[in-house]
Amino acid sequence: MQFEWTADDKRFREELARFLDETLPADWDELSKEGPGSDAQAEFSKVFCRRLAERGWLTPHWPSAYGGRDATPWQHAVLSEEMWSRGEPRGPQYMNVNWIGPTIMEFGSDEQKALHLPAISEGRVLWCQGFSEPEAGSDLVALRTAAERDGDDYVINGTKIWTSYANHADYCFLLARTEPESKRHKGISVLLVPMNTPGIELREIPSVVGHRYFHEVFFTDARVPASCRLGPENEGWAVVSHALQYERVGAPRYARAARTLDRLADYARENGTLDDPTIQEKLGHARTMCEAARLLSYKVIDQRAKGLPPSADTNVARVAGTTVDRAVGELALEICGENALADGSFADANFRMSMTAGVAVGATEIQLNLIASRILRLPKE
Amino acid sequence: MDFDTSEEQQAVLDAVGVLLDRHAGPKRAIQLARELANEDANEDSNEGAHEDTYDHALDRALAEGGFNDIARSMSSLEAALVTEAVAKAGGRCAFATAALVAANLGDDPNDPHDSHGPIEGPIAIALRSEDGPVRFAAHAKHLLVISNAGNANSAGNNGNAHLIALEPGVIEPVSSNFGYPMGLVPNAMRRGGRALTQENARIIDWWRLALAAEATGTMQSALDVTVEYLSRRRQFGRTIGSFQAVQHRLAECFVQIEAARWLTYECAAQGAPREGAATVAAHALAAAARVFTETHQLSGAIGFTHEHDLHVWSMRLHALRTELGGVAGHRRAIAHSRWMGPQR
Repeated sequence: MQFEWTADDKRFREELARFLDETLPADWDELSKEGPGSDAQAEFSKVFCRRLAERGWLTPHWPSAYGGRDATPWQHAVLSEEMWSRGEPRGPQYMNVNWIGPTIMEFGSDEQKALHLPAISEGRVLWCQGFSEPEAGSDLVALRTAAERDGDDYVINGTKIWTSYANHADYCFLLARTEPESKRHKGISVLLVPMNTPGIELREIPSVVGHRYFHEVFFTDARVPASCRLGPENEGWAVVSHALQYERVGAPRYARAARTLDRLADYARENGTLDDPTIQEKLGHARTMCEAARLLSYKVIDQRAKGLPPSADTNVARVAGTTVDRAVGELALEICGENALADGSFADANFRMSMTAGVAVGATEIQLNLIASRILRLPKE
Repeated sequence: MDFDTSEEQQAVLDAVGVLLDRHAGPKRAIQLARELANEDANEDSNEGAHEDTYDHALDRALAEGGFNDIARSMSSLEAALVTEAVAKAGGRCAFATAALVAANLGDDPNDPHDSHGPIEGPIAIALRSEDGPVRFAAHAKHLLVISNAGNANSAGNNGNAHLIALEPGVIEPVSSNFGYPMGLVPNAMRRGGRALTQENARIIDWWRLALAAEATGTMQSALDVTVEYLSRRRQFGRTIGSFQAVQHRLAECFVQIEAARWLTYECAAQGAPREGAATVAAHALAAAARVFTETHQLSGAIGFTHEHDLHVWSMRLHALRTELGGVAGHRRAIAHSRWMGPQR
């Protein structure tokens, strides 16, 4: 057991931080307020990711065979922390590099690899994730979107919902049922669908989270060639399970929460409230939550670095990470007071980013179910 | 980074596990607390009327096994691992203070000011400003007194800690429902003694880490005994532990305990840095309150009885929470250390 970063990892973090200080524009805070899915940030991500790619920092964790540097899961974690804590300047592209690319490496045909991997590793493509449906949220395998085989094509009909980045995406990583009448995990396939396919329509779902955050994506006789299928037909669940392994702990929400907290302490100092013991206690409490989530995430990264299969420690880390994100979001409102209330204020922007934590990418209740059954081994009914 | 125990660490844990199987566990804790433990009373009859409530046999076994000095022979991380294990087994002796506080008092042979040498245990630790019951004080040979300058949690705790040698019987035992043998230490008895080379603030760092390590092991056992009970207790035709409402609360406790554990290990490995020590104490002792509340709520009436093991650990959690200014103080200490100026 030891808790030190290697000299290489430390150097990597320092270089990355310096690069970000130099590269992010002066108005980055303003620009990043609407979150990774905003028009401004999606556009910025294309420029920024290209610059990252030039330095080998867009996909350092990819194998060298695909243009990566075989960086360790720990360096991948450093990359994620530095990016996420600064409001994710990679925009939606964090998904591409974290799990879409690696899943294509694992299951893709040579043509798919040639088409998608360079575009991802050069930072010139945006993706969205077509998983949730109106009747399949936490219970993802209830999905009904159908992709019916018609000669060399699939014809897609159905609706996806809550799809972030759909308005900017060039491709959708889509889950659809390719075996009619199939149930649950069976009969699902993954399709890599160009978003300009005729028959795809979008509707923005206005929300309190932010501009263009949620979308509904309608597929009406959308026809794609069968060569868009990733992995074997009807065995898409295995593909997506593999894909989600890469996302084990999700975004390092604790890193952004910790940075926000430091800024809240600055705010409190400037406004003369940092001497208030109650404020100190609240900041201190939130800091413990950041640190708890950090270490619980590191435990999962350690398992990944050792090549161990995913465990329920992932669920533990997720609970801690989403809890601190929301807690700091709420604390920001409290500390900033009335100044939090105007759209676009620091506290408002932070609150918007935090409020979907624990709902997005697997509800907290699902994580708790898994901890109860897999770790505590509590009985089923 | 490496989150697996090394072979050496596992050997230490195995060794202390054997010792704890023999000398600790809930039955022994209950016996010591409730039945005046006849065997030990006879064995240690020369050590006073209240020896029964302190586990001298365990204390001796840990000392003879070299565990008290493990922070020096190995590192404070191993000391934290053993402290957690002793707490998990419900050990009724002042091991945490010996292994994580006294062992780190800085007896540097090259430091001419540092001449105290090993301190004979058991050692109790107390704040100068308080005047109530102190864990293990009635059985301690030494009292380590920390001056908190009116606020245990301000970062500016300059001045040195003091060590007071205690004559047998000078500290009056006090009966307590909170799971540890205690002695009443009036404020006047916290004066004087020999100044140590260590600053108060530095000892507070180690004390915070020790509290967190104890809380972690204690919480884990409180949760374990609750999970075990709820996995077999049936009501409404099913096991209570199969209700999702119950499972979620236990799972949330687990998340808190698991965080306390890793924060403790990291802080120990880093030598109890100021902010890290305040962080782990603040987290672990806030979690302790929650674990108490949830384990008792979910265990129902049996959980409050001496016939069920939960109280062995649960009541101790609140004793740990009262020490050293409590959770609010630990949280303020984080703020002072991280955000409030040069004291960090």
